[in-house]
Amino acid sequence: MTSRLALLASAICLATAAPAGAQFWNINGDAGSVQTTGAVASPPFSAGEASSLPEAPLVAQAPVPAPPPDQPMPTVDESALRYFARQGDTRRLEIEIARLRALYPSWTPPADPLAVPLSVDERLEAVWLLYSQGRLAEARQAIAERQMSEPQWQPPSDLLDRLAVSEARERLVNASNLDQYQTVVRVGSENPSLLTCSEVDVLWRVAEAFAMTERQPRARDAYRYVLTTCDDPQERLATMQNAAQLLSADLRDELLTLERFGDDGAGEFAPVRDDLARDALAAAGEDASVTASAEDIARVERLAGEGPSASDARLLGWYYLGRDDAEAAERWFRMAFEAEAEGDAAEGLALALIERDAFAEAEDVAFPYRDENDDRRQVYLAAAANLLAVEPRVALAPDILARIVGEVVEARNAPAAQQLGWYARAYGQHETAGQWFSTALGFDPDDEASAYGLALTRLQLGDTAGLAEVKRQWAGRSDRIATVGTPQAEPAAPAPQPPAPGGAQNVQPAQPLAYAAAPAQPAAPTIIVEAEPRAAAPARTRPSSGCSASTDPRGMAPRAALTLGWCLMEIDRPLEAARAFDVALRADGATARDAAYGQSLAYLRAGLVDEAAVAATAAPMNSERSAELQASILAERALGAFERRRYAEALMALDQRAQIAAERNDLMVLRGYAYLNLYRTDDARRVFQSVAGTGSREGLRGLAAVDDQMNSQR
Amino acid sequence: MKRIAFAALMLVLAAGAAMSQETAPITEAEWELYSDRFVTEEGRVLDDANDDISHSEGQGYGMLLARIAGARDDFERIWSFTRRELLLRDDGLAAWKWEADQTPHVTDVNNASDGDILIAYALATAGQTWGDERLTASAATLAEAIGRHLVYEHEGRVMLRPGVAGFSGEEREDGPVVNPSYWVFEAFASFEALAPETDWQALAQGGLELVSSARFSDRQLPPDWLSIGSVFAPAQGFEAEFGYNALRIPLYLMRAGMGGAGLIDEMRRGMVDEDANLTLVDLATGTTKTALSDAGYRIIPAMAACVVDDAPIEPELLTFAPTVYYPSTLHLLALAHLRQQHAECLP
Repeated sequence: MTSRLALLASAICLATAAPAGAQFWNINGDAGSVQTTGAVASPPFSAGEASSLPEAPLVAQAPVPAPPPDQPMPTVDESALRYFARQGDTRRLEIEIARLRALYPSWTPPADPLAVPLSVDERLEAVWLLYSQGRLAEARQAIAERQMSEPQWQPPSDLLDRLAVSEARERLVNASNLDQYQTVVRVGSENPSLLTCSEVDVLWRVAEAFAMTERQPRARDAYRYVLTTCDDPQERLATMQNAAQLLSADLRDELLTLERFGDDGAGEFAPVRDDLARDALAAAGEDASVTASAEDIARVERLAGEGPSASDARLLGWYYLGRDDAEAAERWFRMAFEAEAEGDAAEGLALALIERDAFAEAEDVAFPYRDENDDRRQVYLAAAANLLAVEPRVALAPDILARIVGEVVEARNAPAAQQLGWYARAYGQHETAGQWFSTALGFDPDDEASAYGLALTRLQLGDTAGLAEVKRQWAGRSDRIATVGTPQAEPAAPAPQPPAPGGAQNVQPAQPLAYAAAPAQPAAPTIIVEAEPRAAAPARTRPSSGCSASTDPRGMAPRAALTLGWCLMEIDRPLEAARAFDVALRADGATARDAAYGQSLAYLRAGLVDEAAVAATAAPMNSERSAELQASILAERALGAFERRRYAEALMALDQRAQIAAERNDLMVLRGYAYLNLYRTDDARRVFQSVAGTGSREGLRGLAAVDDQMNSQR
Repeated sequence: MKRIAFAALMLVLAAGAAMSQETAPITEAEWELYSDRFVTEEGRVLDDANDDISHSEGQGYGMLLARIAGARDDFERIWSFTRRELLLRDDGLAAWKWEADQTPHVTDVNNASDGDILIAYALATAGQTWGDERLTASAATLAEAIGRHLVYEHEGRVMLRPGVAGFSGEEREDGPVVNPSYWVFEAFASFEALAPETDWQALAQGGLELVSSARFSDRQLPPDWLSIGSVFAPAQGFEAEFGYNALRIPLYLMRAGMGGAGLIDEMRRGMVDEDANLTLVDLATGTTKTALSDAGYRIIPAMAACVVDDAPIEPELLTFAPTVYYPSTLHLLALAHLRQQHAECLP
């Protein structure tokens, strides 16, 4: 009981404390008299439609005009006040005291609201209880019930007022939650006593309703009412935050001038100003035509220096990167990455490093995050492509090279595959270079630089027929390919010198963002490249000198025959290589397994699918090689069946293959035409659509063929 | 002729209101059975056949029944909820759907015109019966919104949109589409003084013409949803049926004293089966889809037979026992009408 009284006493003190500058409640100007907080007793905000002048603070008249001083004091209904006092409901008691004061300026609250000599009206108490529990419908019911049983009874007007206000409050909040802004404004203006500092949430909702219905100045007025009248620091800050989200910059800045400052000079809206500076920087980072003020930049730099979070440093990194200041960007990204090693900072740091040609570090920083999203994969591949293209050539560690190769193959990234070609060429590995150029062309058939690299390589290897084939394919599309091997040729740097100009043309170190121009890549397939790129991986490249197709493997030791077989594969003599592998198969263990693998590859390359299948079983192989071979064999079978117009068989082979390896685009195209030839147009359309989705022209061509077939059927 | 009928209806309503003090047409016991079952403490009317959701129609029925029963306390409770939780739309109409386990509770902010009309009607008659200006003012505001947003003229007829959005000729190929059962005929007279800008009498007349002429199959029944575009036809996208919506039409006509004996009797014969059940009818074939045996449904054709032919009503239909929300509501509306207007049908 004592504690409850103490609570009450403090509540009354609270409600009657005189804040500095309170101007609405001051009995007879007597400094010693009770005053209420400016917060609750100020005239409420007016939500009415009449627009105020922007300069005039929007302060409406009190809901009930104060009676002139010479008039007798009206009867003040204190039943609610006394009820809340008895309940120990200090918050409501405080609000009620303030409310009655706003209504009756000459009224003073009772010294002890608990000392009520009157007998208690229990039925009325019950209604107040329902009201205080927020059971508004039941309070209405109880009033009506009593009126039915006691027709003379009149509910206290205070009770009815308070019920109406509470109902209005709920209605306003419900309408606000459903974006019924006209209702919000209507209910607000019909219930001015809702729009006070004790109901800041309601004021926010009214402000939002104005802002969302193109009445920004009225929204500004509501926020300004809070900022000029209400004192709760958290509510003031939240008000400014809301205003910053909903108001135009000029209205927002007007409200920022209402900021209050602490003794230490710290402004209460600092968090808002921080966020505005961050927003300005982010906007400027995304759009070069938007500028951030020096003040904003300085503010975020200070925050980045102070804060435990790395996000401000990242924001600065991106801002400077967008302003072509790689050095500053690198500094901030590095700081962010050191504070918190994660993908966004790594991506930005890698880009900044690429900008200043630090490709090795860029590749290293980007690698762990390459799988997080497409952007990060492309940044990694750009770093890798640039690293490969560095001049003079830097020999990469085998593990670095291996991981680059893995990513390039998985991502089917043509620019980086092409760079692997130039890289191999620079080290005189022409067969490997040729295979990488072919692989790049497989990823992107329109990559002229790769075709140029392939042409140079075939010239180098004396593969006249192959060179002619490239020239034929690019006839009319590339002058420099047409002149390869002729006196008019561009000066192609001879191996093992740094790569041919074609390489530098496509991915120059100074233009690291090759990924930005790269076409959308399909989702990375798991196993895509079969024999060729594996054999072609520079890390596995064997010496290309010292073997000849005329060497007879018979009589050679198995290991020597194995070496000869790989060598013959390198110079694209598969039939001779198959014979060499055959000799090597006589051995046991690893040599035999390698030989079986090699022989299968050789037969595959020679187009002898069935022989390849037989060879694959000649010695046990590990599951990876076995799956790889099976996939190749089935692909060849599908192709063969298709060529013999046995479309159902082709589909069977493709289905089998699809169970062990992801379907390549070219095989999907084959599948599409097989369906089309079987008049399964819906299936064909689905397949071509998914091919077209990767940006492949073959997909579009296939879709056109489907349409043709459907039109001809009509 | 029609004008006279309309004026007579207003007299009837006034008389009904006057007598309600002595012998309420819905007894205290009946109302308690209903409200205990279907009205929550916070004044929400439950549609217990639809996962206990609430809607503007249910709130309107609840307010109307409470008014007829003279339960002003319960009326206040239901109205307080309705106003705070549904009467939220910018255009002044009620959001139609409310679900307890969703946030916000209103899960469809569209209106349903029958709900709006029932709420406004209950408010208007309650304000008049109890002399409560507050209720009358709310009735006027809502009636004005109904007149402004839902009543329109189409090819010389005054019509009612089922909802503000989605039913016009612009929005639907077969539009305009109407729901004839949304004409709560008895309500319109009470709107005349409250919202005089709208020609409520013409609206009632337009609805009567619809239910007289837009009847289909050899059962000659009106559909739940009707296209009034080029010709009258069951609306596309809805079952072409005399269903749970349309079965209220004869009840509304009888309560309003409209339609005449011929129309009421034709509808009765179309909807009733040999076991005196009310049937839902496929209007493409004229076949019965479902026979409804709940007393709240059976009493509709039974009341029609008594009103038209003085046929006695089976006694068990005259005792109210709540089943589920919708037929129980219709049952009380029918009983109230019999007690107010057709004492000859009662034992």
